[in-house]
Amino acid sequence: MRIFWLLFSYEWRHFRAAKGLVLLCALLLLTGLYGIYYGTTEIERQRQHLTTLPELTRRNVEELKVKFPGPADAGDIGYYHTTYAVHHPDAWAALSLGQRDVNPYYVKLRLLGLQNQLYATDNTNPMKVLSGNFDLAFVLVYLFPLLIIALSFNLLSSEREEGILTLLLAQPVSSGVVVGAKLAFRLAVVLGLAWLLSVVGMLWAQVPLDGRMVTWLGLSTLYCLFWFGVALIITALQRTSAFNAVTLLGVWLLLVVLVPSLLNLGVAAARPVPQGIELTIKQREEIHAGWDRPKTQTMNRFFALYPQWRDTATIRERFVWRWYYAFQHLGDLAVAKQAAAYANGLQQRYDLVEKLNLLSPAINAQSSLNALAGTDLPTHLKFQRSATAYHDALRAFYYPFLFRKVEFTHADYAQEPTHTFTSQPELDTALRGLGKLLLSVGGVFAAGLLLLRARPINPR
Amino acid sequence: MNYILEARDLRKEYPNKLALQGLNLQIEPGEVFCLLGQNGAGKSTTINLFLGFIAPTSGAAFVNGLEVALNPLKIKEHLAYIPENVMLYPHLTGLENLALFSSLAGFKYKEAELLDYLHHAGLPAEAVRRRVGTYSKGMRQKVGIAIAVAKHAKVLLLDEPTSGLDPKASNEFSQLLTQLSAEGTAVLMATHDIFRAKEVGTRVGIMREGELVDVRPTAALNAQELEQLYLTYMHN
Repeated sequence: MRIFWLLFSYEWRHFRAAKGLVLLCALLLLTGLYGIYYGTTEIERQRQHLTTLPELTRRNVEELKVKFPGPADAGDIGYYHTTYAVHHPDAWAALSLGQRDVNPYYVKLRLLGLQNQLYATDNTNPMKVLSGNFDLAFVLVYLFPLLIIALSFNLLSSEREEGILTLLLAQPVSSGVVVGAKLAFRLAVVLGLAWLLSVVGMLWAQVPLDGRMVTWLGLSTLYCLFWFGVALIITALQRTSAFNAVTLLGVWLLLVVLVPSLLNLGVAAARPVPQGIELTIKQREEIHAGWDRPKTQTMNRFFALYPQWRDTATIRERFVWRWYYAFQHLGDLAVAKQAAAYANGLQQRYDLVEKLNLLSPAINAQSSLNALAGTDLPTHLKFQRSATAYHDALRAFYYPFLFRKVEFTHADYAQEPTHTFTSQPELDTALRGLGKLLLSVGGVFAAGLLLLRARPINPR
Repeated sequence: MNYILEARDLRKEYPNKLALQGLNLQIEPGEVFCLLGQNGAGKSTTINLFLGFIAPTSGAAFVNGLEVALNPLKIKEHLAYIPENVMLYPHLTGLENLALFSSLAGFKYKEAELLDYLHHAGLPAEAVRRRVGTYSKGMRQKVGIAIAVAKHAKVLLLDEPTSGLDPKASNEFSQLLTQLSAEGTAVLMATHDIFRAKEVGTRVGIMREGELVDVRPTAALNAQELEQLYLTYMHN
């Protein structure tokens, strides 16, 4: 151990002398801080946006009170009144934004058909989506491997190429201890940076003090260890620094860019998902057809589903709201299978990626961090289910007014259901990811050590 | 007889080359054995096999009675090595390099002792606290000598150690070898320098194409005879 710590301490001196590496670490630290700033700013922007929504609802109610000063038909209110299903971020979302930039974090709802409202989101700037999120998770998953490569590509090869290794290994020092001390020092630098950034990020984002902190640190540690394991394998091949650098960058490109892209294509082909737009168009056509269908036919279909309203008066007028909302709802039901298939398809794609992400620790780490932060696809689907349930609650609130012809008074606004949904971490996914990363780390280190054993270090 | 260095039918083959064929060699404590031969004759291979840097194809090398292949770390406690071109950590000073390599060898010297070793190796006082990156090849070689001497090893393995040294420094190095030999240190030195071999060697061995073709005590030959013998083998 004495030799190990001696070499470790001298590694610090070698590191200090390599100004480029010190600069690189400082740059990555700044990049990480920017990532934290970016993530917290984005989540703060979303939070600010969400806090304005109740005010918008309140103003809408005020306008309706002016428009309908006395008791009103609930159908008018349901038509003109807007409310919101809101998806509040967890504090951890600031560190791993996941899909919160592409999936809507609120849905504007009226009493009309749900499906087109569920997917009628704000336009997203495709250029912004293309560049992705520059959050801390991005820095950890995509940029930290590059630092590890820069620190480790010449782990032994530089000393071999400079001729120092012959003198070093002529001492009673095992090559395993030399490699171990060098790796351990680099690991300390990288993990020091990763943990520092993570802790700063946690404090900045004001995350709750719970087990997720340990899970996050565990995921970051294992992910970095994986890349050090890859560096160990390349070191064990005992090739030149240039070969090592090119090979490691190739592995980075393969695992961080190529495999995820191929996986995306493969999963899209293996699990086809109907387009959301098809669903919306079908629902729209169904609703429009409702205007032309005989009212009795529409209402009988509706009453078959909601017999509690069957005893309401037969519709003889040209237009009544309860008929209007009935065919709106039947429009939703007409695409219920497609809506379920769409959500199931997305979930199945996600599940397949979860199964295959052992092929790319980068995807595994990213999805685990997203799961931990509650910014992954399953959380979004939960929000959509929650928004659907809220729409059901709105219908349940308005239907007695509509079908019993009860007038809607100003006092009734306060009785209207409201919605809130806060992301919850997908801890099982994160812990599974942790296990898979552990497997990957075990695999690369076992391969590296076996290679080292099979081919002892040649100092020349 | 306890030999400090011994090679028994030591053989090293590479896919396209027979680097060493059945070397048998015994070196006693205090003996200076000089290996002469052209480039590729097998001198450095022999040293690398004793250092355990490469594994023999067959046969065995022994250091202080320990088989190198079975005791790769233990044998290095008994060996000090000076390569043809001593390379050190360029951002550390000569003093720091010596401190590092001595510590790795298990010695914890005070600064004054380290300075003493460097001084005796011939490194100018003004250079000891300068970064090695600014050193000439000869200065690095002197630090290499200091590292070897500070290790107090029973065996010195030298691969063209005076390469890059000026005549004065080479002469001082010869004196140092003589002194170490007198103290019981065995030396195995690969060299092209016939006159240095005659000057410091107890025995010389001539290597050709991986084979030790002749071994003579230096006392039995003068420099011209040794040169003639060497040239004869080389021309055959």
